[in-house]
Amino acid sequence: MVEERRWIAPADFAEVLALCQFLPGPNVGNVSVVLGRRWFGPLGSLVAFAGLMALPVVWVFALALLYADFSSYPGVKAIVMGVGIAGGGLFIGTAFKLAKPLAQKPWGMALAVACFGVISIGRVSLFAVLPVAALLGWFAARRGMV
Amino acid sequence: MSQLAFYFALLSLVSVGGIPSVMPEMQRVVVDVQGWMTAVEYTQLFAIAQAAPGPNVLVTALIGWKIAGIAGGMVTFGAFCGPAAVLAYAIGGIWDRMRDAPWRKDFQRALVPISVGFIVSGGYVLATPRGIDWQSALIAGLSAAVLYATRLNPLWVLGGGGVMGYFLF
Repeated sequence: MVEERRWIAPADFAEVLALCQFLPGPNVGNVSVVLGRRWFGPLGSLVAFAGLMALPVVWVFALALLYADFSSYPGVKAIVMGVGIAGGGLFIGTAFKLAKPLAQKPWGMALAVACFGVISIGRVSLFAVLPVAALLGWFAARRGMV
Repeated sequence: MSQLAFYFALLSLVSVGGIPSVMPEMQRVVVDVQGWMTAVEYTQLFAIAQAAPGPNVLVTALIGWKIAGIAGGMVTFGAFCGPAAVLAYAIGGIWDRMRDAPWRKDFQRALVPISVGFIVSGGYVLATPRGIDWQSALIAGLSAAVLYATRLNPLWVLGGGGVMGYFLF
């Protein structure tokens, strides 16, 4: 959309993407909703979202059904396990990239580590953690601590 | 089924930072609380969603599928996307007008450490269905390092993880 069709300026696209990364929900799905709305209103959002997701949904079910047939082979199971763990590693790498600006912000770093601790080790529900973390983050941001 | 829809709709609204952030909570409910699948199966469903072309939100469809078939998958996927999409639609309209509001910058800064903590958690629970063993730590650590330090397409990282999995597990 940015490079080939020039429907939207790069800076504008980056702005929309930044917004959608912080909104709840799937990032690319949100981008399709926001841009669809901008150009064609509610129907635009709906069409953009459906267009983005329809084919991938079919693909993923096909792959899952295929896997269900082959999952009794230990080799296949081991490969899929490796892919899943690598995918987890990708999330960790992404988070570390996102954390770069926190290097000079000990309070921000502490908040991130605390979120990790209570969720991963403490197994506390996200529904309990998010309000508390958001409140702490908000106060820290107001005081310029993050 | 309505219980599934309700739970995924709620999840939709707390998925700050996207899918990675809610992976621990989904795992907690479907594995620990409900016992609908094992942690290993959970990571495998995630692997299939990662390997398929398309956004990683597709994992919500596979979790529903595992619990209640294709119809279940459509319900969880729709319930997870719907509320967030409505919110994005509403906010997309007012956000541009708030471009220079000071609270907007505060809001974005506040969300950085929270997203970081949540996303690392997502990676951690997905990478440790077998507990913490050296094989898992090696695959996850290498994958994280490659993504952090290089511009290699993540699909190669997933492929590398598959090859290592074949030889290590």
